[in-house]
Amino acid sequence: MRNKIIEIKKLCKSFGNKKILTNLSLDIYENESLVIIGESGSGKSILMKCLSGLHSFDTGKIVFKNTYDVKNLKKEDLFEHTSKFGVLFQNAALFDSLSIKENIFFSSKIFSKKILKEVGLEQNILEKYPADISIAMQKRVGLARAIMSNPSIFMFDEPTTGLDPIMADQINRLIRELVDERKLTTITITHDMKSVYEFADKVAFIHNGKIEWYGESKNLKGSNNKAIQNFINGKFN
Amino acid sequence: MKNLKKIFLFLPSIVGKYAYNLFDNIGHKVLFLYSCLKSTVNPPYYPNLFLRQLIKIGFNSLPVVGLTAIFTGMVLALQSYTGFSRFSAESAIPNVVVLSITRELSPVLAGLMVAGRSGAAIAAEIGTMKVTEQIDALRTLSTNPMNYLVGPRILAGIISLPILVFIGDIIGVFGGYIICVSVLDFNPKVYLVNIYNFVQFIDVFSGLVKAAVFGLIISFMGCYHGFHANGGAQGVGLATTYSVVSSSILILLLNYIITSLFFTI
Repeated sequence: MRNKIIEIKKLCKSFGNKKILTNLSLDIYENESLVIIGESGSGKSILMKCLSGLHSFDTGKIVFKNTYDVKNLKKEDLFEHTSKFGVLFQNAALFDSLSIKENIFFSSKIFSKKILKEVGLEQNILEKYPADISIAMQKRVGLARAIMSNPSIFMFDEPTTGLDPIMADQINRLIRELVDERKLTTITITHDMKSVYEFADKVAFIHNGKIEWYGESKNLKGSNNKAIQNFINGKFN
Repeated sequence: MKNLKKIFLFLPSIVGKYAYNLFDNIGHKVLFLYSCLKSTVNPPYYPNLFLRQLIKIGFNSLPVVGLTAIFTGMVLALQSYTGFSRFSAESAIPNVVVLSITRELSPVLAGLMVAGRSGAAIAAEIGTMKVTEQIDALRTLSTNPMNYLVGPRILAGIISLPILVFIGDIIGVFGGYIICVSVLDFNPKVYLVNIYNFVQFIDVFSGLVKAAVFGLIISFMGCYHGFHANGGAQGVGLATTYSVVSSSILILLLNYIITSLFFTI
């Protein structure tokens, strides 16, 4: 039986008068790779930040492991909740005043060559700074840093954005290996359909602030939903 | 009749809106200040980051503060001479120099210089971290950004400014000495003895208290505006501007308040 790790119920989030998420409901299961797709500005990244407690939300519930609602957490408990998530941010979000080595081992402080091998990093970049390496390398470093924090859930925010197709493929494979080997719950936000077919167990499509479609990635192409078809085929209207 | 009612309601609604925003703004800043002060006391502590900030805010500001102090002392001696020579009161020049430098000029000018130099740097650094999601990344890595980023900066600001001002006092008085001895033909010994006999502990102490408060203001404003930056490079630029402008105004305002507390009550 699949265990629910996160249950989202009627989530609403708005900025001023602009409604971003409207009554969004979704269940996320343990050891599953969920990919969330949707148009730019549809609220995917906001949803991710609400789940990890980085953003507050207006109404609704986010229940974690059937134990607590994120909305009811006190400041200290919310901090604890956020640290359960290992996040690869869109632009890697490496600390630019720290070296690559200090970035990767920020939370663990114990040096391990294994992690470098796992994400395909050479040892000679360890003394460099984030500004000295390419964005693809930065994403690998970001991934290594997230792995080292030993999270319960991984989140990838547009992991292939800004990468050439070959680098994007490498990052996709890296995430696939991570999902397969570590059997962790992962939530990925992407526009890249290659990523969806590479490592998604389940796909959720956000449209107009709601989950418009949810199912297995293999059924995505066969969907009758016009918005999904437009998104997959890159058509306007 | 309806239009008249609208006109009558328009002014109070505008005033009410501004008053609400003002108090909302003050409330946010007070709460943030409370969190800042808490972050300097509550563990975990980051001594390496604190030392790094002490060097950035304090040691690296030494040349600019030193130059400001020496020229201020020199100008003060020259201008005092212009006035005092009319009443044959040239002997009072060292007293005026030391009082003005220790009580007012050294803390205020050092504060304004550090606000422009280090306060802007704090706002820009934290603002960039905010808009590039580095602060979010800290949270996911079990690190409280208040303790990691704000605490060391606040503490370094409070400690380094009095040290800078104390050094500025000495350099400023030395600036007056250079002018008095080399231009105004003062006896060097008389200048130094005058200063030693005239200056009191409270003169230097009040300047150092002001400096500590200004240090808090500068680092607090830098952190506050940096933490609330949004919208990319433009947002970071605005945060930097707000940080320098607001800390400069607060330094001048608090300078008056602290002076009146020390010397009029």
